[in-house]
Amino acid sequence: MAAVSQNFKTELLGAIPSLRAFAVSLTQNADKADDLVQETLVKAWDKHESFQPGTNLKAWLFTILRNEFYSQMRKRGREVQDSDGIMTARLAVHPAQHGQLDLKDFRGALEQLPEDQREAIILIGASGFSYEEAAEICGCAVGTIKSRVSRARTRLQEILKISGEDEFGPDAISAQVTGSNAA
Amino acid sequence: MKEMSKDTTAGAANRHRIADGSPLGANSEIARKLKQYYDELVSDNVPDRFAQLLSQLEQAEPAQKKD
Repeated sequence: MAAVSQNFKTELLGAIPSLRAFAVSLTQNADKADDLVQETLVKAWDKHESFQPGTNLKAWLFTILRNEFYSQMRKRGREVQDSDGIMTARLAVHPAQHGQLDLKDFRGALEQLPEDQREAIILIGASGFSYEEAAEICGCAVGTIKSRVSRARTRLQEILKISGEDEFGPDAISAQVTGSNAA
Repeated sequence: MKEMSKDTTAGAANRHRIADGSPLGANSEIARKLKQYYDELVSDNVPDRFAQLLSQLEQAEPAQKKD
């Protein structure tokens, strides 16, 4: 077996903040998220030879993490999510003033989404993946990702009682700020 | 009266148009909060256990010559 290169190790280290963020988004629990990241790193290390240098390491790692998450969920039944009752405490969301949406309320709303919608909107809207990359990570069609993102967005708007924000139209300044930024 | 109903139709059409053509809408409140939520997670301090884990994995590898 070929040695794991120093470069691979460095890149793994560099990917940890993103992996943790994605893991928290999936599990909604910091401790479970870190266990998931640990499993992911061990798996990635073991199968480093199957990684094609020059391709997107972050996408490869996200795929491993996601597979691990769903396989744990299947093993344990549905208790992986919300076993600590964090969600129930945050169910009540007050109508938000436009532009004054509280981050805590947003987190609570995100927790209420089904996993497939939540992961899709995170991968696209936060992790900086393209629709094609997200489809590959989730093992589904690009169209499926698009429809999940769309449903997630509608659902979040409903929960947070944001209505018709599209009528404000494109905003040149925020369009510049929201450039593609793979974290 | 007729003009008013025209305006309403135009408003509805606008609501269905998403600013950047993606299902998320890069300029939306949701998109901004999503970034904020995630950036906060990404900037969290990484516990030492992960660096330790990688060192352990490295040491556990079948003896490799450092070359």
